[in-house]
Amino acid sequence: MNLIEMKNIIKDYYLGETIVQALRGIDLKIEKEEFTAIWGPSGSGKTTLLNLIGTIDEPSSGDLYFNGDKINNITDNNKSEFRNNEIGFIFQTFNLIPVLSALENVMLPLQIMGVSASKAKKEAFMRLSDVELEQYVNSRPDKMSGGQRQRVAIARALITNPSIVLADEPTANLDSKTSNSIIEIMKKINKKDKTTFIFSTHDQRLLDQMDRLIQLEDGRITE
Amino acid sequence: MNQWIKLSFRNIIKNKRRSFVTLMAIAMGFTAINLFSGYTHSTYEGMRASAIRGSGIGHLTIYKKGWNKFGKSDPDKYMIDKKEINKIIKIIEENDSVILATPRLDISGIVSNGRNSTIFMAQGVIPADDKTILGTFFDFQPVTGKTLNTKKEYGVQMATDLAQYLQLKPEDDAVVMAATLDGQLNALDIQISGVYDTGLDAINDKFMKVPFRFAQSLYDSEKADRIVVLLDNWKNTSIVQHQIMKQLKDAGIKCEIKTWEELSAFYSNVKNMFDRVFLFIFSIVLDIVIMSTVNTMGMSVIERTREIGTLRALGIKKRGINMLFAIEGAMIGFIGSVVGVAFHMMIWFIIFIASPTYTPPGSSSPVPLQVDFLPGTIFFMLMCMIFLALIAAILPARRAANQNVVDALGHV
Repeated sequence: MNLIEMKNIIKDYYLGETIVQALRGIDLKIEKEEFTAIWGPSGSGKTTLLNLIGTIDEPSSGDLYFNGDKINNITDNNKSEFRNNEIGFIFQTFNLIPVLSALENVMLPLQIMGVSASKAKKEAFMRLSDVELEQYVNSRPDKMSGGQRQRVAIARALITNPSIVLADEPTANLDSKTSNSIIEIMKKINKKDKTTFIFSTHDQRLLDQMDRLIQLEDGRITE
Repeated sequence: MNQWIKLSFRNIIKNKRRSFVTLMAIAMGFTAINLFSGYTHSTYEGMRASAIRGSGIGHLTIYKKGWNKFGKSDPDKYMIDKKEINKIIKIIEENDSVILATPRLDISGIVSNGRNSTIFMAQGVIPADDKTILGTFFDFQPVTGKTLNTKKEYGVQMATDLAQYLQLKPEDDAVVMAATLDGQLNALDIQISGVYDTGLDAINDKFMKVPFRFAQSLYDSEKADRIVVLLDNWKNTSIVQHQIMKQLKDAGIKCEIKTWEELSAFYSNVKNMFDRVFLFIFSIVLDIVIMSTVNTMGMSVIERTREIGTLRALGIKKRGINMLFAIEGAMIGFIGSVVGVAFHMMIWFIIFIASPTYTPPGSSSPVPLQVDFLPGTIFFMLMCMIFLALIAAILPARRAANQNVVDALGHV
């Protein structure tokens, strides 16, 4: 069974009275453990597609399935629970909570889930060790480099052992060395934990590491 | 829960200046309300005691039925005779809440020193009972000379301005004249036992206290126009009023019973005025607290839009975002109020130590500015402020929670 299946997904945006067609009938299947990238030029609809998979946006029409269950018409509360349990997000701008330490940031998804603080702390520490940030557990995001922040974001995305990690341009704000290290970490986790990764990127270094590439152009899959 | 409290607290201290201004607005408002509340409480207490004991009206006053309507035109008919006085006092004093029941006779006429004459009003009282009713107020109305006593039946206590006008001092003699209840002119010699300040400008130039028997002699009567009742606690006034009313009715005595509140129009008027001022101040403070908190939380929502989007993407529900901002609002209310408690205690202590005085309108002498320390009111206001700040935070919180996640994440 496919982990993700999209059937004829269309997404329109309204800019004043103008309709912008971001996605024009996407049919897509993604299986478990894939290390996949959606790539294409700016404005091709990569981020929109990722947002729809992550249920933080809704398609104008079409159906989205997760493990065979239709999920685009579930309630907002159920979507929140779905994201918390099944999805890990990695953002281009890291999106860490500035007033929380690295450890507290990583603990957050577990605490949203209702896991006790002591257990969440233990898990978060392990995840930070996976991304080699044990020494920065108490550091606030503003005291960390871009690469360190992105590693905290990866740890946060993985803390709930999600089925899918959605990473939107995760290396866009990082230098080559840091990018390589981040890519290596994610690849390792994909192999070790069998976590599905879906990237949105046009970074060739990242694309070179992918098992599968999905090209988007003008809101359509072209390969 | 701790995590969300921690997150809220850190967001409050992140914007130090803005939070400081909001906290100060709440703290100042809290202080103002509590100081004013303490002041009005003290004023009400003082005025209540002044009405009941200082002016001697007691807690309850019993009149013969019809006195208040027709007593002035036909006093003799509506006064209480000797037999009824004894009967009423005996019935009243059976009540456990009653400390004292004493007859009174108010008189008026002309007082003369032989050269000058002027009108006077006097209260005919039983000296020992009057002293009991005065209680601690006895010390606040110092008498130059001697106080009333039963041994010297023609000895009177004269108000300062009246004594000054007639150039009378203790031990001096004068004459009072009045019409008896039969309409005959009567004149009696008096001797000034003492001179005292009534505390009220309006009556200081015409008031006297005379022994009850003397008042009866001047009116050539053995009657009283009222019986004043002193209770153990003002809070029992209404209950005892009804109890006594029933007892007297059962005994076949037709009477009217007025409470101290009904008789002291000044107390009611001032209380009404202060209650309105309090409401006005409270409304202003309420506006300040709500507007400050809405402003702070509104700014916070705008600044933290991307953070809200991230939290929603991580799986927080809309009600979780509402709760987060509600906690923050409540925390602002709580911290502001705690600072307010500190300010309040500091100012209260300064007032307590400095003991400033002021002369209220209608008063003939300065009174101390007193602010009561009211832990119950402080706690209530603390809860009020937290609740208000929480409510004020809900509006921007709802806006935050209802934001589109993608739009929030893309917010710059």
